Amino acid sequence: MTVDVIIQVLIGGVLLGGVYALVAFGLSLIYGIVRILNFAHGTLLAVSGVVASLIYASYHLHPVFIALLLAAATFVFGYLFYMALLHPLGRRNHFESTVGTVLVTVGALLMLSDITAVMAGATQRNIQLDFEAFEIGAIVVSSAQVKILLGITGLMLAIHLLLTRTWFGRALRAVTENRVGALICGVNSTRLKALTFAFGSTTVAIAGVLYAISFPVSPYMGFGLTVKAFTIVVVGGVGNLRGALLAGILLGVAESMTSLLWKPEWAPALSMILMLLILVAKPQGFGKKSA
Amino acid sequence: MTLTRLIAVAAATCFVLLPTQSFATIGSCNEPIVLGTTISETGPFSTLTVHWRKMTEVFAEEINKTGGVEVKACKKKVPIKFVIYDDQSVPSQAVSLYEKMASVDKVDFFVGPDWSAVAGPVPPIAEKHRIPIVAGNVATPSFFERGLKYFWATPAPTVARWSERYFDMLSKMNPKPQTILFVTQDNPVTKAITGVWSKKAEAQGLKIVGEDTFPSDLKDFTSIISKMRAAKPDIVYISSFDGPSVPLIQQMRRLKVHAMDVHHALLNGSVQKQVGNDVEGMTGELPWYPGVKGPYSDMIETVLKRSDLDMFDYIFTLGRLNSYLVMVQAIEKAGAIDREKVKEALFKGTFKSPAGDIVFDDHGQPKTGAFTVQMQNAKPRIVWPPEAASTKVIWPSPSWQ
Repeated sequence: MTVDVIIQVLIGGVLLGGVYALVAFGLSLIYGIVRILNFAHGTLLAVSGVVASLIYASYHLHPVFIALLLAAATFVFGYLFYMALLHPLGRRNHFESTVGTVLVTVGALLMLSDITAVMAGATQRNIQLDFEAFEIGAIVVSSAQVKILLGITGLMLAIHLLLTRTWFGRALRAVTENRVGALICGVNSTRLKALTFAFGSTTVAIAGVLYAISFPVSPYMGFGLTVKAFTIVVVGGVGNLRGALLAGILLGVAESMTSLLWKPEWAPALSMILMLLILVAKPQGFGKKSA
Repeated sequence: MTLTRLIAVAAATCFVLLPTQSFATIGSCNEPIVLGTTISETGPFSTLTVHWRKMTEVFAEEINKTGGVEVKACKKKVPIKFVIYDDQSVPSQAVSLYEKMASVDKVDFFVGPDWSAVAGPVPPIAEKHRIPIVAGNVATPSFFERGLKYFWATPAPTVARWSERYFDMLSKMNPKPQTILFVTQDNPVTKAITGVWSKKAEAQGLKIVGEDTFPSDLKDFTSIISKMRAAKPDIVYISSFDGPSVPLIQQMRRLKVHAMDVHHALLNGSVQKQVGNDVEGMTGELPWYPGVKGPYSDMIETVLKRSDLDMFDYIFTLGRLNSYLVMVQAIEKAGAIDREKVKEALFKGTFKSPAGDIVFDDHGQPKTGAFTVQMQNAKPRIVWPPEAASTKVIWPSPSWQ
């Protein structure tokens, strides 16, 4: 086991974790603001990845354009989905509302997967970019990995600017910190929730494009990603961009190092154990302590 | 209770407790020979069986073109007819359908099903009704050690002979490979293949420099490939179904894995469609390919053409067709549409197929091999054995240098 091998695996783990973090951040916002556990979140990534692969194979558009197209489409989809199916459930009592949102999001998961499988086939696909490989000693980094890293960094920066420099971002942070206070200050709850749901969907759609560049995607792979995203949300803190990034990278690196040092089939289990240990040591996760 | 009532109750009890027995019956010479089967047309295995229903019907048409199967006892040829159901890739569904075909449809014989996961619980139904069953692609060796008397299968190839020709080719290559590394999907069949062929590789003098098993849903192979690059094997042997191996092959290219050869034990058109040019130069096994001449090869080529089936896209097709060919020949050898006589014929006979003779061992398992193929200019070419090869092997594989 040489240092080169360990560095190679760490690079892969960081990239994987970055994609996980993007997936998780959208879910984190949705849960933090809208108070909905969106079980279809990972499936939206899978569907976006499949659609992106098909567009690339058919029209050879640049992945950046594909990401922008899908971002716009999923923003509209997310907004309409919330207003039509989830918002009406808010008028019911707490129990019915909770059960109802679970049913709606799980139903959406199943329908999205099946419709995509029927229309595009269940075979996995990805965006097969031509790439160059850069060798630094025994370490190989492909241009695809560099592009994904730049994409993740750019997107995180864009989200950070959105959250800190726009009214929408300030409203999101205000509701996360003090819901009642934000309401008193005139933050329109319904519109904000719909926009948050749409924004979370957009984030995961872009993550889907990045994922499809690295790994094959298929319509039925989404739920496993949703579970990972939930874990990152818990460890990283709700609505916490930095916490999600840190927790996501930690999860990606944990999976990669377990595969290297032990066995790949143990990677998901051991990384979950690691996350649980972090929560035992730091119950609030990487987020700020609540007031 | 009176004596009469007691006797009546005793008689009724004996009737209920007496095991029912299905006795084999002689089939009618005036009706088609009915072969009952299921195909996984839906569910996870459905991607492996595209056009198989049509193929099965076309097979019957081709056999019946000359009148059908020669049956001595009937003094004529008798046509065949298939009864086909969809087992939905679900074992319990397969069991109930074979029970239905035995009890309600009253088929003469069974052919199929396929896949160890689906076919496992079906043979006891055949045992119960004493109906000979020639399953298709069932390769797990332990299935043949259950003491079943009415069960045969025609996987092509069998685990024991899976890479026989490939390793024969390796022993004759120059430069000769010295080291090998195995990467295996966590699946019973792929692990059985690695289990057998890693031992044979060692016996042949190849040093095993790494063995990794990966779960079917693994996407990031960086750790496995990093170890692979550090070990620098001459041969990388991938034992995996198509889907799970796609990210492995793509990442091996991205991370610049070099080897004399990368061998994929289940290479097929689906892998090629998913990874594109990354598959160039890889070797694999194929039970048979149109153009290789042998018994029934012309008929099978016609069946494939009429069914719009490419053998490379659906590599398990020959296993299924062999089950039909074996059953038809067994009926001819038996000389009667008689289950017990056909059973005896299956035990003792040698059966012809385009890929060579099929001879069953005492457990019903055949000894079928495969041809070695190499992807050359995006086409699979048979490269070994030389007598069946359509072109020479390119060695070492240039695209992996």
